[in-house]
Amino acid sequence: MANNLIVVVENLTKRFDELLVLENVSIEVHRAENLIVFGKSGSGKSVLLKCIIGLMKPDYGNVFINDKNVLVLSINQLNKVRKDIGFLFQGAALYDSMTVRENLSFPLKRHFEEMTIKEIDDKVKYTLELVSLEEAIDKMPSELSGGMKKRIGLARSIITDPALMLYDEPTTGLDPITSKEISELILNLQKKLNMTSIVVTHDLICAEIIADRAIFLKDAHVAYEGNIDDLTKSNDPFLKNFFSHDIKKV
Amino acid sequence: MNLPRIRYGRRLNYSDYFYNFFATLTGLTIFNWEFFKQAFVPPFEISEVRKHMYELGVKTFGIVSVTGFIIGLVLAMQSQPVMQRFGASDFLPGMVSLSVVRELGPVITALIFAGRVSSGIGAELGSMRVTEQIDAMEVSAINPFKYLVVTRVIATTMILPILTIYVIIIAIMGSYLAIIIVEPMSFEYYRSSVVQSIEFGDFIPGVAKTFVFGYIVGLVGSYKGFSAEGGTEGVGRASTTSVVLASLLILVFDMVLVKVTLWLWPTI
Repeated sequence: MANNLIVVVENLTKRFDELLVLENVSIEVHRAENLIVFGKSGSGKSVLLKCIIGLMKPDYGNVFINDKNVLVLSINQLNKVRKDIGFLFQGAALYDSMTVRENLSFPLKRHFEEMTIKEIDDKVKYTLELVSLEEAIDKMPSELSGGMKKRIGLARSIITDPALMLYDEPTTGLDPITSKEISELILNLQKKLNMTSIVVTHDLICAEIIADRAIFLKDAHVAYEGNIDDLTKSNDPFLKNFFSHDIKKV
Repeated sequence: MNLPRIRYGRRLNYSDYFYNFFATLTGLTIFNWEFFKQAFVPPFEISEVRKHMYELGVKTFGIVSVTGFIIGLVLAMQSQPVMQRFGASDFLPGMVSLSVVRELGPVITALIFAGRVSSGIGAELGSMRVTEQIDAMEVSAINPFKYLVVTRVIATTMILPILTIYVIIIAIMGSYLAIIIVEPMSFEYYRSSVVQSIEFGDFIPGVAKTFVFGYIVGLVGSYKGFSAEGGTEGVGRASTTSVVLASLLILVFDMVLVKVTLWLWPTI
């Protein structure tokens, strides 16, 4: 595997009973690249992300992260790989029995046992500054708005300084302004921390802000691949229809 | 850990129910095996166990106090006329305390505990499952089974025997109240009657089986919550089925444990 490749997916196939969700999907992601994964709802975008991180087992295929095939690793080996990956869930998935401070310090306490309480607290405050939510430090997730939850979820994902970030619909359910802010935040963080990102979305504005490259999942396959302009300005009737709808909606 | 999926829906036929029965048994067996595989491997998450013992156990003291007191009171009230008819009123404190120590105390406490705690664990973990919090823990390289399940099961296993001893004491106090309402009896006489009629050997099987009941409550609640699916409906289902299954298993295991105890120690 070329050294600048961080993620390689080979011939990934996944079906749920009779429903074929992904078939022979292959993608490569380079270091510090932002890859957007487009597709209609139910096209298998989130399934692809979950197979990459090892939350779902594909029926066939391989997933390499930093040259390690995550599908054959033991749980301990997989956890070592996961320590270098951040994942932002669609609903942020904040632990609702913990405050924002506890949510952020939780992975640090688990994985960086040498850190002192003060160092952990400083890191939490610094990360909250990055997402401009220092004032929310002692709030419970139930006290936060949808946009704030996404930001805190993002802060929790990046607090361990991962080399790879996976975003599952980071702007879904947000108003256009907050959605744009979150997208810009993702881009800024990616530049600042030099991370690689795979972003699953059908939000064109988000994609235009973040994307270096994009793929489009359709009928369980990677139907299109290229930079964002190639896709949005394509003469393909399906893509034209998809993106014109999106623009009108926004 | 791959748990067999339970079939849900409005149009289930008999084969689906049959399948669900065995899927649940298989799921519980896998969960049980996983617990023993992980419980004795560090990290032991002592602070989490302590937190759950407080959350799940100490906060149940109120409801079990009321229940225990009423059990003792009602048992004495019901038995008093019968004992009087046979001229055996003097044996009433011993009869009530033996019933409470050997059977009623452990089983009723376990059923109340299942109602409050198993449903709570099922709902909490179920909600964490459907809102992807358990997945979030897993992708953060934190073992959710160890952190969420093992700690809760240990906490319920440890706290139920303590609650049971407490309920037994409260129930015996309740029975004293029922007796003195009808006829005067000094507390000293009542206490000595109770102490004389109960041997240490009576306590052992009663309290020992509550470790098993506590384990059942924690394991069933965690299993139902951990395997929940289908949004808020799934959370509700996890909570309800936790109580039903835990209560049923408590009664089944009570029957088995009583039989085993009598087989091993016939003189008890």
